[in-house]
Amino acid sequence: MLFEVSGLTKRFGGLTAVADVSFAIDKGEIVGVFGPNGSGKTTLLSLIAGMLAPSSGTITWKGAEIQGAKPHDIAAAGVVKTFQNPQLFAELTVFEHLMIAGHLMLKRRLGWKRVATLFNPDTGHAGADLERRAGEVLRLCRLDAARGQTAAELSYGEEKMLGVAMALMCGPELLLLDEPASGLGQGEIENLEAVLRDLRSHGTTLCIIDHKVGFLGKLADRAISLHHGAKIAEGTPEQVLRDPGVIAAYLGHQHA
Amino acid sequence: MKTGARLVVAALAFALLPLAVKSDFTLTILVFSFLLGMLAVSFNLIFGYTGQLSMFHAAAFGISAYATHLAMVHLAVSFWIGMLVAAALVLVLSVIVGAICFRFRLKEFYFAVVTLAFSEMARLLVLNWNSVTNGTLGIILQDKPTIWMPGVGLVKLEGTLMWYYVSLAALVLTVIVCWRLVNSWMGRSFSAIRLNDELGDTLGINVFRYKLAAFAVGNIIAAIAGGLYSFYLGSIEPGFLSIDQSLAIVAMVLLGGRGAVAAPIIGALVLTALPHMIHLGAEMRSIVYGAILILTILLMPQGIYGTVAALAGRRRHVV
Repeated sequence: MLFEVSGLTKRFGGLTAVADVSFAIDKGEIVGVFGPNGSGKTTLLSLIAGMLAPSSGTITWKGAEIQGAKPHDIAAAGVVKTFQNPQLFAELTVFEHLMIAGHLMLKRRLGWKRVATLFNPDTGHAGADLERRAGEVLRLCRLDAARGQTAAELSYGEEKMLGVAMALMCGPELLLLDEPASGLGQGEIENLEAVLRDLRSHGTTLCIIDHKVGFLGKLADRAISLHHGAKIAEGTPEQVLRDPGVIAAYLGHQHA
Repeated sequence: MKTGARLVVAALAFALLPLAVKSDFTLTILVFSFLLGMLAVSFNLIFGYTGQLSMFHAAAFGISAYATHLAMVHLAVSFWIGMLVAAALVLVLSVIVGAICFRFRLKEFYFAVVTLAFSEMARLLVLNWNSVTNGTLGIILQDKPTIWMPGVGLVKLEGTLMWYYVSLAALVLTVIVCWRLVNSWMGRSFSAIRLNDELGDTLGINVFRYKLAAFAVGNIIAAIAGGLYSFYLGSIEPGFLSIDQSLAIVAMVLLGGRGAVAAPIIGALVLTALPHMIHLGAEMRSIVYGAILILTILLMPQGIYGTVAALAGRRRHVV
């Protein structure tokens, strides 16, 4: 198994935001995690990405336990998270954003030799590779046309796609997407779906959280539903959507 | 490299200026502006590029002024070696102060207050350690640094013109170092951290390490400025480490502009020259000074450089 979460729990004082959650993700899968607002989805993602330390439980990535590791080390290991609201520089272009996000790629390529490039601006092949990779990511994310535009000039959908593109520059093997479809129009959601399917076909494993069931239902191979921090259902999206517990969580008990 | 070309032209213009301007008064103001410009440019590396409002900059400047002198006296070394010793001391202090602040992820207000507290500790130590620092009276520096000049050999660094070229060279070097840093992959990491720590984290950037790097490099440049400034002035006093000095540095950067490496030099020039150009009493001078700062923040939040660049239709260059 590529990635496995076991008995993961996070308490904030008296509140248990994530309660004894266990699941696994295989290479190449698209796993959807959904649940109503406040069900612990974002906390779960923050725990996996190392922004928060779990109260108990383990997170295993390629056979090694990573719970409690530093977030930049987790990103360097190939587990990369996007933001629900993309973090962008209004005055920088799309391409410049990708150069900022190229940190890990340059680090993997050059290691400590990067220090030498502080004195000699020529990063040689590594710099050229970085720019080539940025071009690939722009094509993959359908952002070619916006390459030279500043973030201030982008639509919200493009902003969110740039957030995904920046994460892709880190070379993720497991990409964690935090509500990538929230705030998008129907056309933008279809575009996002196409991009995410392309990503999977390029070998990236995806874990997507969203409260929109429809979007995840079409895309995910497997779905997990959270409610009050606990996993209440797991299976194919159809199975999970028919689950009485899930229906009750979303619509109230009288509908179950 | 258009910006680079403009900087080269500006540096050459300053290098040729003494041919046209013979006034010792004007050149003296420029020497002080260059040395304070080093402080402002290096502060902007920490503040403008990495987003950390450090109140330790004046401390790095002042500690180094004392340490350079003390190293020369007690270790019997030359000014330049003394300055290196002082810079090494400031590096160690920067790592200690920076590691404490950044390990606990102190940001904005909290980072400013904690670095100010360290700064005040240093100032009070200097103020009260009479046997070493001569307390409030400060120290008069009699020695002059020597420099090697082609064809002449070692000569004493004295007279406004020699100091003009030494301080200009130091400022140019400062701009080159900061320019190279912010336009490198490391500068891009600084940018990510400036936007927010979490972005840095998710991009695999070791936020702690790069905050510390910006803080240390900035402080080392401040240390070198402190050594030069004190020996040009011919004296050191505890006011070098004061909060007033810290705020003056912030004012230079806000006035000049944060968005370009050399922009804070404009602020250093204006704020150094202004008190000498407006012949007012000390009280009125502070009021004028304060009013300029308030108007800048309200009307030109991008500083002089940012405002002029915007008028010229040029995009702010940040990465």
